Amino acid sequence: MKLTKDKEQHLSNKTNMPLNNSRRDFFKKGFALSASVVAASAIAASADDEAILKEPKWGSKLGWPTNKYPYGVPSPYEHNVVRRTTPLLSSGDYYAAVAMCPIQDIKGIIVPNGLFFNRSHGGTAIVDPNKYRLLIHGLVENPIVLTLDQIKRYPSETRIHFIECPANGSPEWRGPQFNSLQFLKGMMSCAEWTGVKLSTILKEVGIKPKAKWVIAEGSDDSHMARTLPVEKLLDDAMIVYAQNGEALRPDQGYPVRLLVPGWEGNLNVKWLRRLEFVDKPAHAKEETAKYTMLTPSGKAIQYFWPMEVNSVITSPCPDKPWTDLKKGEWVEIEGLAWSGQGTITHVDISFDGGRNWKEAKLKGLVLPKCWTRFSFMYKWNGKPILLSSRATDDSGNTQPTIDQEVKVMGVMPIYHRNAIVTWEVKSNGEVNNVQIR
Amino acid sequence: MFKLDKKTVIAFGIASVLGFGSNLMAKVEKNVDGSVIYPTKNGMYTLYHVNTKAENTKFNLGRKPTKNEIKAWKIEVFPDGEGLPEGKGSVEDGADLFDAKCAMCHGDMGMGGKGYPQLSGGEISSLKNQPKGPGDEAPTKTIGTYWPYASTLFWYIKSAMPFNHPMSLTNDQVYSLVAYLLSVNEIEIDGEELDDEYVLNKKKFLKIKMPNRNGFYPNVDGKNGVENMKKFLSNPKNYGTGSRCMHNCPRGKVVHIKYELNDFHPALSEKRDLPKEVGVKKVKTRIQKLYDETCKACHGNPAVGAPVVGDKKAWAERLKNGMDNLYKNGINGINGMPPKGGNPNLSDKDFKAIVDYMVNESK
Repeated sequence: MKLTKDKEQHLSNKTNMPLNNSRRDFFKKGFALSASVVAASAIAASADDEAILKEPKWGSKLGWPTNKYPYGVPSPYEHNVVRRTTPLLSSGDYYAAVAMCPIQDIKGIIVPNGLFFNRSHGGTAIVDPNKYRLLIHGLVENPIVLTLDQIKRYPSETRIHFIECPANGSPEWRGPQFNSLQFLKGMMSCAEWTGVKLSTILKEVGIKPKAKWVIAEGSDDSHMARTLPVEKLLDDAMIVYAQNGEALRPDQGYPVRLLVPGWEGNLNVKWLRRLEFVDKPAHAKEETAKYTMLTPSGKAIQYFWPMEVNSVITSPCPDKPWTDLKKGEWVEIEGLAWSGQGTITHVDISFDGGRNWKEAKLKGLVLPKCWTRFSFMYKWNGKPILLSSRATDDSGNTQPTIDQEVKVMGVMPIYHRNAIVTWEVKSNGEVNNVQIR
Repeated sequence: MFKLDKKTVIAFGIASVLGFGSNLMAKVEKNVDGSVIYPTKNGMYTLYHVNTKAENTKFNLGRKPTKNEIKAWKIEVFPDGEGLPEGKGSVEDGADLFDAKCAMCHGDMGMGGKGYPQLSGGEISSLKNQPKGPGDEAPTKTIGTYWPYASTLFWYIKSAMPFNHPMSLTNDQVYSLVAYLLSVNEIEIDGEELDDEYVLNKKKFLKIKMPNRNGFYPNVDGKNGVENMKKFLSNPKNYGTGSRCMHNCPRGKVVHIKYELNDFHPALSEKRDLPKEVGVKKVKTRIQKLYDETCKACHGNPAVGAPVVGDKKAWAERLKNGMDNLYKNGINGINGMPPKGGNPNLSDKDFKAIVDYMVNESK
């Protein structure tokens, strides 16, 4: 089967495709492989399949014309892959509410814009981009007003970052309640963001030495405002106007939002209209009534910015069980790890609820403050297992067990729950959300 | 956190004496949130290529804001009173305003129970409660038991309340609502109880001391605020951290779901099939949109107590006295319902059309 260079070249010309190494390797290894193909007769015998024998509807008539949807839509067969809400997390209505991302159905590390989780405090504002203004003022040398076009004139940067609401998983402090990955961890998504680094604009504005804090405020009807330290803005914060290649969606703050990589979702202020540099924290409403963490001493942590190191197994999960998996079959255990305090360095997997651990492989791009995929090849023997994942980042932080986290935080902080998640996989392949505590 | 055992520490020590391994020993500089700082080196920021020339170019974009522009948008109020406007309002006026514009969501005297936040009641001592089961008392986090500063209350009401019509209150109205909310929370100012006649103004406001003022950490106020945050966040033991134990690690018991929450919209489904209503497009009319904006927050939420759209029985009850009476009550306000649902900009004609829509949807 070995091909000479000439023959390779010939084949390459004929198919008009360059032969890459892996293809060459395939031909070289072809002989060795054929032996194993014979041995692999474990693949089931089968009867004729109608799906192959009978020409399908879509193969024997014209499809949709190319101009049917000027803005494309997913296949109608995917209509169940949507964001979902629950009254419990909706303050009695769907204006101050959260719509959860179907992370059980997301592949890779980019969430499509229509599925990106959505949390707002007074509905989704529909801002007229022609009337959009950004005001930068306070303790600065040159206060400025910028239009959207002017913001886009600055050189752009593109980064992939997750955004996670600190309340992700909050109904589970006292015990498991959601038998669904979408509702357990769906208050987060990851996207490619484009905009301008704040340090670029701030160099021109000139921050006065007395300025230690910044108030970032949205123009929506809740006038959502938060206090941030100047240090973060100069490190990696951005003013972004694009998400996955297109303009931000209204529910992500169209036309402009603040991006503070790795930090609490609502610090990434949407519909951003104002950055005011100040010498003291402002104690905004979302730094008082909400987004503060009550501990067992009766005292609360008032400001807490980064989303801590975290992970969850996405396959299997309660929404995507192993009910079609047979005893003795190989399967990939896959999941997501992320940290707002750095880059994922290790993910460990346990099959016995955390007694013993094995290191998983990281997969694909491994970027700071970004979803990171991990993978573990596993031959299931059909016995029940308790499947957990545990991530570590380059700041040296490792995900706590539930006991380790509750010991410090108690069960009433609502926010910043990053304890290890465990799935109970039953012998019939069903998967349940359980807790080890 | 990695735990270094004695041997490793000694090994590292020797390595650094010998002049290599100094990178390992170098203290990693941490950011304000305890994360690693990534430098931009040789045109790279971690795995991203960057055009470093962009950072050293002057663009001079934008224009100077005017004083009036800054005044229009700078609406925050700081704990030290910066940003607090002049004005005054009495507890009594606040009570009337609260009943008309707030009680339908926050309950009588702000006691809650309407599906929106409870604003009064409870004890500071409840903040220590760590309930285990559904029967145990949870902490009550209200203005009186929880909020550290009254400035937040003023700023919040002024910028975001009433929920469906924010930025509609005058400064005097905000003062009166703050006065009322402090009084129902039994908060005194300068030793004085806030009875009905009490009039709050800027001078008195600056003397407010909230009961749970010292209930928060780390201390972010003052000169070392940012440094305090950095110290706190750089030590994950302050908020719970794990270790990479690999074998025979301590392990708790398996806890299954006892109280399952599954009121999901739409219901969960991983099926790949055709949706039932392909091609059916529901376009909302202008009147439906007005209903969404002005009325739905109460009439779409059973917890509020207003007749919910679709509730045949509740609407039949209200139709007994005829449509004209229904219009009249809605336009003038009745019980918890403010005139025209709190939106005075609605014309009578539009308001009646909304009522018609709500009645039709409830037949």
